[in-house]
Amino acid sequence: MTVIHPNMADETAKIRARDVCVFYGDKLAIDHVSIDISPNYVTAFIGPSGCGKSTFLRCFNRMNDTIGAAKVTGLIELDGEDIHGNRMDVVQLRARVGMVFQKPNPFPKSIYENVAYGPKIHGLAEKKADLDVVVERSLTRAGLWGEVKDRLEDSGTALSGGQQQRLCIARAIAVDPEVILMDEPASALDPIATAKIEELINDLSGRYAIVIVTHSMQQAARVSQRTAFFHLGKMVEYGPTSEIFTNPIEERTKDYITGRYG
Amino acid sequence: MSSIPLSSDAAVQPLGPTRTPVFEQRLAKRYREERNFRLIGLGAVGFSVAVLVFLLGNMLINGIGGFQRAELEVTIDFAKSGVSGDAVSLSAPTAAQTLEMQGLPDIVTFFAEEQLGKNAAREISPDGWRDVAAALIADPELIGTSKVFDLPTTSALSGALQGEGSPEMLALAERLSDQGKLARNWDWGFLARSDATTPQSVGIWGALKGSMLTMLVTLALAFPVGVLSALYLEEYAPRGRWTEIIEVSISNLAAVPSIIFGLLGLSIFLVIFPDLRSAPLIGGMTLALMTMPVIVITGRNAIKAVPPSIRDGALAVGASPMQVVFHHVLPLALPGMLTGTIIGMARALGETAPLLLIGMRAFVATPPDGFTSPATVLPMQIFLWSDEIDRGFVERTSAAIIVLLVFLLAMNGLAIYLRNKFEKRW
Repeated sequence: MTVIHPNMADETAKIRARDVCVFYGDKLAIDHVSIDISPNYVTAFIGPSGCGKSTFLRCFNRMNDTIGAAKVTGLIELDGEDIHGNRMDVVQLRARVGMVFQKPNPFPKSIYENVAYGPKIHGLAEKKADLDVVVERSLTRAGLWGEVKDRLEDSGTALSGGQQQRLCIARAIAVDPEVILMDEPASALDPIATAKIEELINDLSGRYAIVIVTHSMQQAARVSQRTAFFHLGKMVEYGPTSEIFTNPIEERTKDYITGRYG
Repeated sequence: MSSIPLSSDAAVQPLGPTRTPVFEQRLAKRYREERNFRLIGLGAVGFSVAVLVFLLGNMLINGIGGFQRAELEVTIDFAKSGVSGDAVSLSAPTAAQTLEMQGLPDIVTFFAEEQLGKNAAREISPDGWRDVAAALIADPELIGTSKVFDLPTTSALSGALQGEGSPEMLALAERLSDQGKLARNWDWGFLARSDATTPQSVGIWGALKGSMLTMLVTLALAFPVGVLSALYLEEYAPRGRWTEIIEVSISNLAAVPSIIFGLLGLSIFLVIFPDLRSAPLIGGMTLALMTMPVIVITGRNAIKAVPPSIRDGALAVGASPMQVVFHHVLPLALPGMLTGTIIGMARALGETAPLLLIGMRAFVATPPDGFTSPATVLPMQIFLWSDEIDRGFVERTSAAIIVLLVFLLAMNGLAIYLRNKFEKRW
């Protein structure tokens, strides 16, 4: 049913999902999706609104646990470990799999506190000096250090929308995750801020496995090397981004890519 | 503007639906309605402000008199009085009795008769000598010197000074005030004394301290219990029948008439602690029962108002549910919770009915020295004084109301200050 392009077969998988279903009450939101996420690439999930791509993304760090009515079945492994298994702690999982949300959601605390929060609660930095190093490194990687280094004590919510989103990315990478999930990270931003975020994703790829949900096909084409197309809760096609956009196998993918629906 | 054609063929085109006279009439009507609505709103606000100003103004005008009292000027020469005493005997708790045994009341009367005449001396309040005794106890060095005292008068003379009473009394009041011996003086002692039998010697301190102690107990019990209940119900409680029953019960608890809580305090707290009748501890516990549901309800609303995105953000960096609550939800919900606490505490401060039942309406002439000693509270004191026959109590009642309102304002001011301090924008 799902078309997987054959030339990805020998890739290693950071995240391996098998027959994942998500139910919202009785409604089946994700229907038996299986996918391997490569550690070396940016993977984009595309598809029309309501196709379940965000829901599926939220399975990877078990954020669906916070929605009472949502139920996840199937197997999801991170480096071969079942993330729903007894040996996997959800707090540890979320430290390993960071997330950036659609709407920038900095804490109403100082810029410094925003970035330092994760390392603090996980005890990753013992001393203030260590914490300073982590904060500077994270903000630098998020491309924000130059803009905020003189006002680290200002509130994170006082930044512009694009800066807030990069602050959220800095917050996510401060705990040194292995995977970063991004749920339409640029959809609330203007084109210039969007360009900066995309540039940042390019910089971060390779260091972290990145999965990005987007409903902008241009964005998927620009930032990702792997693309999965979702439709009505099913994964229709998964392959190298260049092939998905230039030579899709499935008719529905072709229709969506060419703007027939969505 | 509309006369300028927008394009060459504008003249031949029919007017659009938003450019017809009918539309313009409707538009005018809309603006008229808007104006009327604003006027009605303004009227409502004006009415409430007027009522408030009238109430406070009335209270203030009546109450100012309550902070004053009619006093007779008497010079007492202790050297000639024969009163003896030293620092040791005057620092004993029974010093006032010792002085009474030595005939201090008679000494006061003697000097009054000598200086003001027999009629006037009779009009010194029977408790007047206590002021002299208090001065002696405060400063034993006074023995051997002479000092001018302003002693409270009886209600009859006090009334006469304000133009009410029998002709003889009016004449006496006029004569004394012409001599400069009788005057209404500012009575700071009102804020330092406690309840008494005559309006001239009552004070509000006992009730004020009782209210403070009671409120402390209420806050210490209701705030943590209310906040923790709200947090648990909102963050942890599984959705289900039991949670729903608890929620409905708490909402109902907030609407229960306060006297019922008094009955509860009577039948439970006073059975468990029979020795603590009239104590601020029991009063505070009873009022806490009443305040807690208000804090729970407003607290839950405040928690609900915390944006889910903040929660998600914290969870996504790996915060445990408790860390999410204490690092993010609680700080953001605290201003709202404090608002609920203000409302609940203000209601508790003004409450009389439940305290009637647990014995806080007793006559308490000494300020409570702890959470377990008998006390009364401000609204109860107001209630008790308003029941008195003596005319002098009317002004004292108004003065007590002013003290209650000032206390209320101070309490709310503190809470609003704290709320603004904690308020954060997101």
